[in-house]
Amino acid sequence: MVRLRDLPEYERDHLLSKCDPPLGPPVWVAPKRPLEALRMALLTTAGLHYRDAEAFEAADGTFRPIDGEENTAGLVMSHSSVNFDKSGFAEDVNLVFPLDRFRELRDEGVLGSLASVHYSFMGAGLAPTAFEAGAIQVAALLKRDQVDAVFLTPV
Amino acid sequence: MSALSYYLEREGIMTTGISLVRENTASMRPPRALWVSFPLGRPLGKPGDAAFQHEVIAAALGLLGRPRGPVLEDFPRDAPVAAAAEGAACPLSFPKQEGSPTSWAARLRSEHAFLAPWYALSLRRRKGRTLVGVSGEAPEALLEGLATYLDTGKKPEDIRWLKRAVEDLKVWALEAMTAQPGEYDPSAMNRSLWQDTVLGAAILAFYHQFQNSEKAGDRMVARMLAPREAVARENG
Repeated sequence: MVRLRDLPEYERDHLLSKCDPPLGPPVWVAPKRPLEALRMALLTTAGLHYRDAEAFEAADGTFRPIDGEENTAGLVMSHSSVNFDKSGFAEDVNLVFPLDRFRELRDEGVLGSLASVHYSFMGAGLAPTAFEAGAIQVAALLKRDQVDAVFLTPV
Repeated sequence: MSALSYYLEREGIMTTGISLVRENTASMRPPRALWVSFPLGRPLGKPGDAAFQHEVIAAALGLLGRPRGPVLEDFPRDAPVAAAAEGAACPLSFPKQEGSPTSWAARLRSEHAFLAPWYALSLRRRKGRTLVGVSGEAPEALLEGLATYLDTGKKPEDIRWLKRAVEDLKVWALEAMTAQPGEYDPSAMNRSLWQDTVLGAAILAFYHQFQNSEKAGDRMVARMLAPREAVARENG
């Protein structure tokens, strides 16, 4: 479990070294409609992509699109960190990228709809500010797709 | 995660999501985050447990209804662990290599031959799903490449190739080791990969090659090859 008190000192120190300050004044978008009317996208920093897409480099602020309709079983991972276990993701994509769960929520009417395209970054090796340009690009793409809200997963 | 959440919200899109390291999230203060106590690599808690994954998602989606933020809430449960999986060792017993050919090439080939039927079974059980192949080369070719470096004592210069070879071979081995149906303790699986396999020993050999180098940047390469935990355990 990732409770710092349970980790060895070298691991604790490494994780604490990533305690960056806020990137700016607090930002907050108030909901404009209830959950059952929201259009949502998934975004992960797990370094996911299709096998035939370009893998992420060791430090890489770019992103990869993930088709909203395609079978997620075709997704692979090129995250550069070696300090987590990939066997769970090999077993079940939804452990990291829960698109099947979100499809179920959409089908049950819990959510309004899902984005046409979802996105993956690879969250290792760079300062948080290195993701600003990519995030602005993705935000524009999401707006064009009428997306209201994003569900983010790390790895 | 926190940075992307901040930037997307700044651009006018609501965000919510999972935090795996509470201290990092508390420091960066993204608009909404649900901290979970699950291991790194498992933000939704447990593979194959749709009901539990839905609980986590529901808690994170619930944050979208909060009137103000930033919000950092703790998910109240640990990931479920099956009794059979708790502390369970790797289901495969790796054959002892003592007295067998001593070149890295021979040892890696021998281990690969031992694991190959298990990898084939894994492919069948997972209906063809595999994470292997990001490097674009067959595992056998990658093994031969690694062995050539180790047996000649040369240090690889193509770091991108080395990293992708190591990652492909690790997931190949892990998928083979988890070919049998059932639940696995990820810590035990990874401990076995690093302690019991020739592949683990080979990757640690590359780690030391780069860690002990005086060339600028080589220590960074070392850290991309082997996890801190495996190195710490090797050092006792």
